[in-house]
Amino acid sequence: MAIKLGGEFEVKRTPAEVYEFLVDANKFAPLLPDFQGLTVQDEKHFTVKVNVGVSYIKGTAEVKMELTEAVPATRAQYKGQGSVSGGNVGITAGFDLSPEGAGTKVRWQGEAQVFGRLTSVAGGLLEPLGKKQVQKLIDGLQAALQ
Amino acid sequence: MGGENKNGGNWVGRAVPRKEENRLLRGRGRFADDIKLHDMAYLRFVRSPYAHAKIVSLETAAAEALPGVICVLTGREIAPKTHPFIEIAPEPGGKIQDYPLAVSKVRYQGEPVAAVVAETPRLADDAAELVQVEYEPLEPVVDAEEALKDTSILHEESGTNKVWNGVFEYGDIEAAFREAAYVVHIDRMHFHRFSSTPLENNVVIGEWNPKDDHIYYSCNNSFPSFAIQFLAAHLGVHIDRIRVETADIGGSFGIKITSYPQMAVCALASKKAGGRPIKWVETRSEHMVSSAHGNERTFRDTRVALDKDGVITAVDSRHIDDCGAYPRYEPLGCVIWSQVVPGVYRFRNVRIDFAQAVTNKCPVGPNRGYSRMQHLWFLERVVDICAHELGIPGDEMRMRNYIRAEEFPYLTPNGCIYDSGNYPKMLEVAKKLIGWDEWKKKQAEAKAEGRLIGLGIGTTLDSGTNNFGQSQIVNPGAPFSGNSQGANCKLDIYGEVIVAVGSCPQGQGHETTAAQVVADVLGISPDLISVRTGFDTERNVHTGFSGTYASQFAVSGLSAVHGAAQKLKAEMKRLAAFVLEAKEDDIEFGTGNQGPELCARSTGKSINYWGLANIVNVNSAVLPTDMHDVTLNCRYVWRAPFKVPDKQKKYGNLTLTYASQLHIAVVEVERDTFIPRILDYVAVDDCGTVINPPIVEGQVYGATAHGIGAALMENCVYDEVGNMLTSTFSDYTPITAVNMPKVKYGHISTPSPHSYSGAKGMGEGGAAPIHTISAALQDALFESGVIIDDSFNNADSLFRALVGKEVAQADKVVRVDRR
Repeated sequence: MAIKLGGEFEVKRTPAEVYEFLVDANKFAPLLPDFQGLTVQDEKHFTVKVNVGVSYIKGTAEVKMELTEAVPATRAQYKGQGSVSGGNVGITAGFDLSPEGAGTKVRWQGEAQVFGRLTSVAGGLLEPLGKKQVQKLIDGLQAALQ
Repeated sequence: MGGENKNGGNWVGRAVPRKEENRLLRGRGRFADDIKLHDMAYLRFVRSPYAHAKIVSLETAAAEALPGVICVLTGREIAPKTHPFIEIAPEPGGKIQDYPLAVSKVRYQGEPVAAVVAETPRLADDAAELVQVEYEPLEPVVDAEEALKDTSILHEESGTNKVWNGVFEYGDIEAAFREAAYVVHIDRMHFHRFSSTPLENNVVIGEWNPKDDHIYYSCNNSFPSFAIQFLAAHLGVHIDRIRVETADIGGSFGIKITSYPQMAVCALASKKAGGRPIKWVETRSEHMVSSAHGNERTFRDTRVALDKDGVITAVDSRHIDDCGAYPRYEPLGCVIWSQVVPGVYRFRNVRIDFAQAVTNKCPVGPNRGYSRMQHLWFLERVVDICAHELGIPGDEMRMRNYIRAEEFPYLTPNGCIYDSGNYPKMLEVAKKLIGWDEWKKKQAEAKAEGRLIGLGIGTTLDSGTNNFGQSQIVNPGAPFSGNSQGANCKLDIYGEVIVAVGSCPQGQGHETTAAQVVADVLGISPDLISVRTGFDTERNVHTGFSGTYASQFAVSGLSAVHGAAQKLKAEMKRLAAFVLEAKEDDIEFGTGNQGPELCARSTGKSINYWGLANIVNVNSAVLPTDMHDVTLNCRYVWRAPFKVPDKQKKYGNLTLTYASQLHIAVVEVERDTFIPRILDYVAVDDCGTVINPPIVEGQVYGATAHGIGAALMENCVYDEVGNMLTSTFSDYTPITAVNMPKVKYGHISTPSPHSYSGAKGMGEGGAAPIHTISAALQDALFESGVIIDDSFNNADSLFRALVGKEVAQADKVVRVDRR
């Protein structure tokens, strides 16, 4: 099951400042919904623990994240692989930055591929749930960058 | 049961209550999960969440460290110790390497990657969650037509996703199209993927005894003689060292034929655990995602030639079958459909280009009505679409095209011999039962009110007793042909009549019908006959074809029982003649004051069964040497009179008997909800001579329920990355009694000349409702511009066709050339 989302928002910080925030796992990862913990392997790799729960499938998901694209002040993209009881998830999240007045316009695209029993058990719940969680992340990102 | 036989001495044909009922209805059945062996341990599979992925790493240490865990098996561990399972396909499909645990990659969601063995089932569950598997996702292929493009290959060793391809061509197809008055083109039709949901899931107990290297299985596999041929080659053991025992089985419908991979893992786990018996009980979710599904098939570029009267003269089409991730029983389905090439129709010119592909979905198994069901649905759609396009009523179209009663035995274009039948009469009976003319009037009235009501007819053939020589059409090197079944009939030491058969009944009443046959041979009540239930290799009655599948017991099983009973009867008569000092033709069978006996008519002397058994078994010194061959323990192997088909021409008789079912449904599509509702339903059956009418009727009801569920409720839905979205009963919604309409049942009998009793194998009529409901929906929606081009139709798909106009639009599906 693929969940594709995207949108844009504006913040007052410069593209360089936004970029620095996005590529810093210690700043970015805690914004993930139901964040539980972070282990940074190197500047491009980190593992984040988040709580997930759909119906009776609940647990902690370990998501291995990799910063796959990093163009200072312009673009950052993460790819991640995670597993939880009953399913696996593949995540791609990209941010394109462009100056907007004194601040920055952030165009973002996210895609989550969910594999496993989770999809059949949670069924149609996954997409609205995914959207809600991503919106939380974007809201948090906006708040942190203001 | 008891009582005198009031039917002229024949127990066959009577409504004898099922012998099994006493046990099963009291909860005294013995199923595989009821069996508990000393020191038994429990197995749980770790399964892939991905449909297509490389296994990057697989870490079992945490699971192995859990107290109570005995061992963990992985694909990498077992691959060097075993051989890949036999592939029936020739190369390149034959190169596929199929192991019971994924070795380096997974190919469907739910594929086992490891097996954990622990002291209790719950510990095994917990430990399975500790197995860490890292996957690298690969591009999944979930559509068979896409799979044939080979952009993402499932099995690198074969180099292609195509398992098999062949053209079946008979008659003069081009001439038929040249001379046609009409040519109907149908772009695409699709037969959906569904499964069966037996009450009892798969269960295996495997025990590999290290002392003698024998393997014992207690399980509910429904074709054990096939399974052991695969297991022996895979495990590298002599086949006679594998014992398989089945007890009562809570339904199979064919899909339990392919449980041999799990059987292999249980044996290997037992070996690793030092010979302890290992039990695996499949959960419902496992069953839904990874046991076996029915074949999905797509029909492309169909051309139908018809004469000016709407008589079909030729069919030309391209069929693509989806067998899921591993062929296993396939590609037999690539030829099995050709048992019914023309269905119930008379056309002689046909060309089907048939291909089968692997996809990243659950492997298929021979689900009820296997392979013929898909083809017969295709033909029924062809007939109905042509009828509507040419403005010919559905019943009239069929009457113009049916094979006629006087044409039986009927030779089909590919050399099959339809033994008997009378399709026009079945239609007549069905129309009368449902009140066809009245419903046509009601339909017209409803139409005036804006309601959508349709009447549909569906005819299916239940071809039974396969000629396994057809396997040589898909693979000329296949070592199978013909068909056989064994049975044993004996007097035990106290004179009880004991019958053993090589079948694995799952509700078909084999105990009862076998007893009826023997009762007629010996002239005693079926109450006095014990039929051993279940399959056991150590009874030594089975042949390489033994099991329960393909609608054959009434022919192959009961013929074997009949043969064994006749042998026993002959021995009993000879022995009685010696003891009673009479001639054999003076001996008659009956029941006296001391139970069943043989009596010399001329002297009135008699000896009961106990007396005969006593002489042979424990008082043998009284026997003269010329009677030492009398054992009262008689095995008989019945062999079907088949020849090996012509492999090049794909020609020959592929099946012995052809039972038929004709159904009529009246269906309304609700205007507001788009829910299709069955307003009336009739099923008419012809299985030749009926051995036991209530059993036949029960089989018809069961098959009808299965087919209605398949047509309207049950669909294995996968998303684009290979997630199965219907792996629970909440989503898959198998049919229940609540959803069943009242079915009016009718019956005609055209005895088969190919079986000793005139019976035809039956039980696979589950296709008929799918044809029938599709036809009824077509009738209801044709004027709305909708062509029923899929076998699955629910409120959602009908909404998308009628309102969204996203699917099934006539102008995109059908074109008619009028000449």
